Amino acid sequence: MKHFNKILFIPLLCSILIGQIKLDVSTIPKRVDVYLDGVNLGRSPILNERIKPGLHKFEIKKSGFAPLSYDLLVNPAQAIKLDFFLNPIYKIKFKTEEKGLVFELNGEHRWDVPYVRLELEAGDHSLRVFKIGEIIDEQIIRVDEPKRFNYYLKKPLTLN
Amino acid sequence: MVRVLLSIFFLNNLFGSSQDPTYLVFNHFDREIPDAEKLLIENFNDSKFEFDASIKDIFSDLDSYDNPASSHMEMIKGLGEQYKVNFILLNKIEHKEDRFILDGLLFNTRSGGLIHRRKINLKHYLNGQINELVMWVGKTLGIQQQEWQENRESILFSDPESISYEKTPMGAAIRSLIAPGWGQAYSDKKVSAGVWFGVEASLSLAFILSYLNYDKSAKGFLSNSVLYNDTDDEKLVAKYRSLAEKDWDNHIIYSRLAIVLASATGTGWVSNSIHAWIFGPRPYTNIYQEWDNSSKSNKG
Repeated sequence: MKHFNKILFIPLLCSILIGQIKLDVSTIPKRVDVYLDGVNLGRSPILNERIKPGLHKFEIKKSGFAPLSYDLLVNPAQAIKLDFFLNPIYKIKFKTEEKGLVFELNGEHRWDVPYVRLELEAGDHSLRVFKIGEIIDEQIIRVDEPKRFNYYLKKPLTLN
Repeated sequence: MVRVLLSIFFLNNLFGSSQDPTYLVFNHFDREIPDAEKLLIENFNDSKFEFDASIKDIFSDLDSYDNPASSHMEMIKGLGEQYKVNFILLNKIEHKEDRFILDGLLFNTRSGGLIHRRKINLKHYLNGQINELVMWVGKTLGIQQQEWQENRESILFSDPESISYEKTPMGAAIRSLIAPGWGQAYSDKKVSAGVWFGVEASLSLAFILSYLNYDKSAKGFLSNSVLYNDTDDEKLVAKYRSLAEKDWDNHIIYSRLAIVLASATGTGWVSNSIHAWIFGPRPYTNIYQEWDNSSKSNKG
């Protein structure tokens, strides 16, 4: 029976190992939880893992950074090395002293209060400003650190 | 018009041995990257470079093939025999708006198969194309320099935890705790700094004067009490009694005043520090309406 088990085990092991591809995953920043098809591979850098050819889903998560999801079709090869760059999330305060304005960010978040706190992914964001249902301004704001934005309307010049 | 630059270089005798692997490298850029060849030679100065622009088909889109890893086997084998190299390295750079895409492929000429592929999609940064190219080529050769990595990381947004500010609200609070108004001055709030310093200086001065008067009255009371006890003269008794009573009253008044002023000074000192923290230096950006206010637009 023991020999029988060995006979079964060796081909099974070979079938598992053959066709698998060496996988290395690096991230910036380091020490990020890496999930492959929902299974936690540990913290980056991941070295000498194995992956089967086919479609796989990578998920990269770290507190303070935008989570990343990446679908990858792995072709038969000797090795695959992936580098992921995570984008940080910054705490933003948005303030205005102007009355009656409605703000819209990236076409999805809206507010009409004079002060809001937001958590935004670093990078460029589209800001639109409405007054009495009419768009009065549109511009790109760059979020590159935790900070406060103060919005001001452009006052018309009063010439005597 | 897409400009194709094919550069071929042989990386021979990488470690001074004729048995080390040799590489044939093709660079395919959609626009000219100044000094690319020169910088590659400089970064891998142990290698021997040659350039040729005769092979273009090898750069066709690999992803359109059913099996990209083995799609060019015969061609790769043929090139390996022709150039007597072990590996072929293909580098392709395409520019799309403010980003560039580097597609790197490393083939083994013995099998003709693809053994490494690197595709990177990054926003432009200073000498980014060259930096990414040398990083990829260096990776295939087992050479990595910290400088290349740091150069790439310079374009990334900072980790929130690693951001350090030159001026902080806590720095302002500590300064104001040491000297009233210093924290406000540190935060470039000169008027506020002057007001806090003036108020605290006045309160402190008033406290010191009150304490000195209290001390003077207390000592005067004691000395007049001694003189009052030591004399039998009727007039002097009345005089010392009057002076001692006056000193007693003054000592009580100045004592109370000193306590009130000390409390006010202490409370003000702490308040000044808290004020410095609340209105301390924090990063902000003022956004002004971009659209012209006078001409109303229905855009959007």
